Amino acid sequence: MAATSALEKRLRIAGIFLIVGLVIEATCLLWARPIAFVVMVVVGGLFCAIGVVVFLYSIVSARQD
Amino acid sequence: MSLPTTLLLSLILFSAVLVSVLVALPGITASRGGKVLAFLVLFVLPLLCMAIGVSSEVERSKSTSFCLSCHVMEPYGRSLKVDDPSYLAAAHFQNHRVPADQACYTCHANYAMFGGVRAKMHGLRHVYVQYLGKLPQQIHLYEPYNNRECLHCHSGARSFEEGAMHNADPDLLPAVKANKMSCLSSGCHDVVHNISNLNNAKFWKGAN
Repeated sequence: MAATSALEKRLRIAGIFLIVGLVIEATCLLWARPIAFVVMVVVGGLFCAIGVVVFLYSIVSARQD
Repeated sequence: MSLPTTLLLSLILFSAVLVSVLVALPGITASRGGKVLAFLVLFVLPLLCMAIGVSSEVERSKSTSFCLSCHVMEPYGRSLKVDDPSYLAAAHFQNHRVPADQACYTCHANYAMFGGVRAKMHGLRHVYVQYLGKLPQQIHLYEPYNNRECLHCHSGARSFEEGAMHNADPDLLPAVKANKMSCLSSGCHDVVHNISNLNNAKFWKGAN
């Protein structure tokens, strides 16, 4: 039960990072300025990457638990 | 908004909604179907959105409007609309010798290997200078304009190969093709953007 709740907590964290990353990406697509490209790749990409890594870590750690 | 951008935004929105469902109800991942859904929503879809998004932004960064959105490029944009055929950039832009929506990129991308990547790296530097650096009074090319960029389109074209001026001297075309004589700075096609003369120039009314 504790393992399940830890997994769910990590999935939630991953999801929140991904939502922020996706919102940044969507905003940058509507914002036609050169800085938008940098913000999308650096900031949006970072949030999405963290979300994906947390998700993958949650799977691996759930198996170990 | 273009159709690809609309489709991409729809995909991002769809992904964000599915992620929100998983954030609200993480318990659904207990079942096999929920695990597959979580993999798709938290791994496949975000990476897909990011890949398509970066590709879309890279494509958009080739557009004329993107290049001209920096204030320092404004006179170069105006020079494309000068009503004088001796202005090389204007003649190419107005007669669609280059795609009007990718005019800057078409002439200023390097047609050697990894030329597109180099152009993007230069572009990132331009963004840095625009927002965090000191804008130069006068913009210069990184290196003298290489004939290769002209020959990418003109080489083999009848008007270029058989042009009277190009064939007046038999040594001219080989020198141009070997980049030993510049198309621009040799005195033949030396009026390019000439932004210092824009105040006295007439502008083409058909340009939008």
